Amino acid sequence: MNEQVAYLSQTIEAIVAGAGNLLPELLLATFFLLLVTLDLFRSPLIKSLLPWLALTGLFAALLIQVLGGYTFQQGFFLDLLLSDGIARYTGILFCAAGIFTLLLSLLNRSLEKLRYGHGEYYGLILVLVLGLHLMAKSVNLLMVFVAIEVVSIASYILTLTFKTEERAVEAGLKYILYGALSAGVMLYGMSFFYGLTGSLNYAVEGFGAALLQADTLLVTVAAVLVFAGFFFKIAAAPFHFWVADVYQGAPLPVVALFSTGPKIAGIVVILRFVGTFADPLFFADVQFFLGIAAIATLAIGNFTALWQKTPRRLLAFSSVSHAGFLLVGLLAFGADYTQSILFYLTVLLCMNFGIFLFLQISEEAFGVAKLDGFAGLGRAYPFIGVMAVLYLLSLTGLPPLAGFMGKLLIFSNVWEAYSLSGNNLLLVLLATGILLTAVALFYYIKIPYNLFFKRNFREENLVISLSNKLLLVLFALPLLVFFFKPDLLLNWIEQLLAQIN
Amino acid sequence: MNLILTSLIFTPLLAALVVLLLPTRLERPAKTVALLGALAQLILAVVLYIQFNGSAFANGQEGYQFVEKLDWISFSLGSLGHFQVQYFLGVDGVSVSMVLLTGIVGVIGVISSWTITRNVKGYFLLYLLLLTSVMGCFLALDFFLFYLFFEFMLLPMYFLIGIWGGPNREYAAIKFFIYTLVGSLFILVVMIGLYASVIDPLATAWQMGLVERGVASAEVVQQVQQMLQQKVINPADLVRTFSIPAMMEPANFIPDSLLHVLSGAELWDLPVRFIAFLLLFAGFAIKVPAVPVHTWLPDAHVEAPTPVSVLLAAVLLKVGGYGLIRIVYPVFPDAGTYFSVLVGGLGVLSIIYGALNALAMNDLKKLIAYSSVSHMGFVLLGLASLTTEGVNGAIYMMFSHGIISAMLFLVVGVIYDRAHNRMIQNFRGLARVMPAYTTFVVIAFFASLGLPGFSGFIAELLVLVGGFSAPDLTGMLPRWLTIVAILGLLLAAAYYLWALQRMFFGKYWIFPELREQAVIKDLTVREYLMLVPLAVLALLFGIFPHLLLDKVGVAATGFSELVLQQGQEQLRLVLSSMIR
Repeated sequence: MNEQVAYLSQTIEAIVAGAGNLLPELLLATFFLLLVTLDLFRSPLIKSLLPWLALTGLFAALLIQVLGGYTFQQGFFLDLLLSDGIARYTGILFCAAGIFTLLLSLLNRSLEKLRYGHGEYYGLILVLVLGLHLMAKSVNLLMVFVAIEVVSIASYILTLTFKTEERAVEAGLKYILYGALSAGVMLYGMSFFYGLTGSLNYAVEGFGAALLQADTLLVTVAAVLVFAGFFFKIAAAPFHFWVADVYQGAPLPVVALFSTGPKIAGIVVILRFVGTFADPLFFADVQFFLGIAAIATLAIGNFTALWQKTPRRLLAFSSVSHAGFLLVGLLAFGADYTQSILFYLTVLLCMNFGIFLFLQISEEAFGVAKLDGFAGLGRAYPFIGVMAVLYLLSLTGLPPLAGFMGKLLIFSNVWEAYSLSGNNLLLVLLATGILLTAVALFYYIKIPYNLFFKRNFREENLVISLSNKLLLVLFALPLLVFFFKPDLLLNWIEQLLAQIN
Repeated sequence: MNLILTSLIFTPLLAALVVLLLPTRLERPAKTVALLGALAQLILAVVLYIQFNGSAFANGQEGYQFVEKLDWISFSLGSLGHFQVQYFLGVDGVSVSMVLLTGIVGVIGVISSWTITRNVKGYFLLYLLLLTSVMGCFLALDFFLFYLFFEFMLLPMYFLIGIWGGPNREYAAIKFFIYTLVGSLFILVVMIGLYASVIDPLATAWQMGLVERGVASAEVVQQVQQMLQQKVINPADLVRTFSIPAMMEPANFIPDSLLHVLSGAELWDLPVRFIAFLLLFAGFAIKVPAVPVHTWLPDAHVEAPTPVSVLLAAVLLKVGGYGLIRIVYPVFPDAGTYFSVLVGGLGVLSIIYGALNALAMNDLKKLIAYSSVSHMGFVLLGLASLTTEGVNGAIYMMFSHGIISAMLFLVVGVIYDRAHNRMIQNFRGLARVMPAYTTFVVIAFFASLGLPGFSGFIAELLVLVGGFSAPDLTGMLPRWLTIVAILGLLLAAAYYLWALQRMFFGKYWIFPELREQAVIKDLTVREYLMLVPLAVLALLFGIFPHLLLDKVGVAATGFSELVLQQGQEQLRLVLSSMIR
């Protein structure tokens, strides 16, 4: 009895001492509760304030993470969470993603027409961002699972925002089924790890040491099972099947969030977890499996995108291919790749929100549903057309845009790792990654092709709102700036990484 | 610092910005601004050409003039050292000739674009962007900067062909884009590999604190190079660089890196350095273009509007050849000497295959496109010979082909303007109705087929002399290769004279269905304005070759000596490290 009391008081002490680390998360949770409560009131004034309240919450969380200085304790929080530089930097990205999502939502006309569920929608975005924060901080398998489920459940409901539409229902159902399956598989794998090591915290030294003792085959199986769950979140093959339907059915702001937030968080989880297997002497199988998955993701993403007829599906597979690139980057063991991965993720955030905003404008103002619906749009509205070209080039990875810089950094890490280890898998990864860029051009270019080369059949003179235009510029600016001065961002990331670790 | 090179690059960009800010309906001012931008670039190019000291020593690795060097991107990679990109410009004899060519053709292209009516603002915007990036390619000495300009050429070109082109323009535009992108991806791989292997000795010395930042001396450089090869530098202090001249110095390669001459690293039984050479060569060969990766060129040319064709043939193709001279050979001289038969062989294949194709074409523009393939083959042959004459000839060929192909495409544009058709069999006896036009066609054709007195003759002569002396002087090419290349001259005479005979001589006749819309009249003032200067230049450089050779000669000689000497030395090392 006494022991239990002592343990309880210890735990409470630890929670109180470490609570400061969770300031952004606590803030988000508070704002979520506030939002849900206020949503109960029927006054239209309060309803109209809800998105701004959510924005305030996200801005507050963003601000304290940019400023920093709120962490009271180094090291783990209850063996579950780690507030390090990676978590802080990605936390900033998550808040930014949340803010961007809200801005896109405010400009989205079909969301306006939604009769009920506004408060819920904004609240769930906050929850999703909260879950992302937790994913990036987790160092404990169980905590990872809980965090991923928080994100997943919020995502399922957000996908179903337009409940009355058939597409949305189909997307939601598929999403939940795949999600449930991969969550189960992941949990199963985690139980293996617990059995093998006696620990759920994989950031402690004992974890890796215990794995070295364990049977290699068993470790490989366990790793494959756990990665299944992670791959689901970052939409890597063979767990990417939900992507196209969800992108087709969910509201565009939410799709933009899905294509960035969970991907960033998932990559961070993998980044933390994969380090355990960086030793090629013992874990060659795990590496081989990851390499195959990366190649498959790249190939499936790029080649499937070639056949797509709608822009949403095209971007869905483009997002799969970007997951592949990130996996390639994560396999460059030996090279110090955290910085480059974080750089790529930042660029991805801007590119994806930019291109989805462009898509939202063209869907809502011009009713574009298929790729050929873009025909002549760029000629009639050069500003929008040029911005779209900018985003697409960055997605392809051509200079002078930051997408090129991101790819260059990842490829040079892989080269570096190859020259250190001589592992041919890395060479294959490098070659696949580079050659598939040419394939990527083939499908991305379809949009500019339609925008500018096809004849214009539209005569109506629509005015694109200033806020839309400003936002298009806002997302494009970092792409140019981080091409010409990537050191600005990289040095900042380096500072953050060095500061807390 | 002398900013002439920066102004050369950014003058068209400035003009492009002005065009962008002009209201869309002001078409004439947009044209005028574009013309002023191109003219300013030409004037700067001429000034540079005159001021350039052609007798100062240069060999690709050193001896650059008007150098501008600024830090651009630099950040720490932790335990892997530093990432450094510089804004590094400079000219030697090779680039100065290309700069002059770009200046000349840029202006001619604007004059030729005067008849563009659709979306004038967008057209000139893209045109000026293209001029900026081409000029940047010829002046950049940092691989990253070069690659930036090299890739950026694709986009304006894609839109220029795809929006203002002929009936099948969309296909041609995409084919052009994909082909060249694949090429540049090959280049990208090697660029990454080189950057991972090469350090900037001076910046590394500064990083290590050997000397104060900003102090430069040859001894320090040498000391760092020695320390590097003895592996006594802390890896975190290494400053990796994209500087092309630094990549030419074997002592700057990190000992354990894959591209070091002694690395012994191999892939498919070839040293990694050889693979890297082949990839780079493939990348630039697509641009040149060499057979068998030339198929994008006829399509792009046929569909592109006349001024874009002019720019494409006269300047853009030269970037391929220039890349070989500036980067591929000096950085990998070992593989360059090893694969000389391959390069020369592809050159001769291009000469013959291009000429045979030209012979079979009914479309005058396609004929000329294939003749471009054939003539650019001489550039490869001259380079592969590695003799002074051959290299001089290759550069001369690039310059002369730039002038003459511009003229050829303009000439095709004239008949297409009149008749909206350019099939050879649809015309006969044009000389009777268009005597002045025929005169220029004859001049262009004869200049291109290498009649003495025109620049093409000097170029071909130098290349062939180089090729013939190569077995004795450098041991590079078998003699029969050059003999086969001579056949190309005969074939060129055949396709040009045959086309001339079919289209221009005999009784005047044009295909009945064309008669209604065709307005067959002789040259206008605007056309004279373009054709006369080009004809004069082709003659001038044919009669006074020293005008160009005085500027190019030293650099070409230095280049061939550097490649030969270092090549044989490094080849021995590479092969010996393989056996180990």
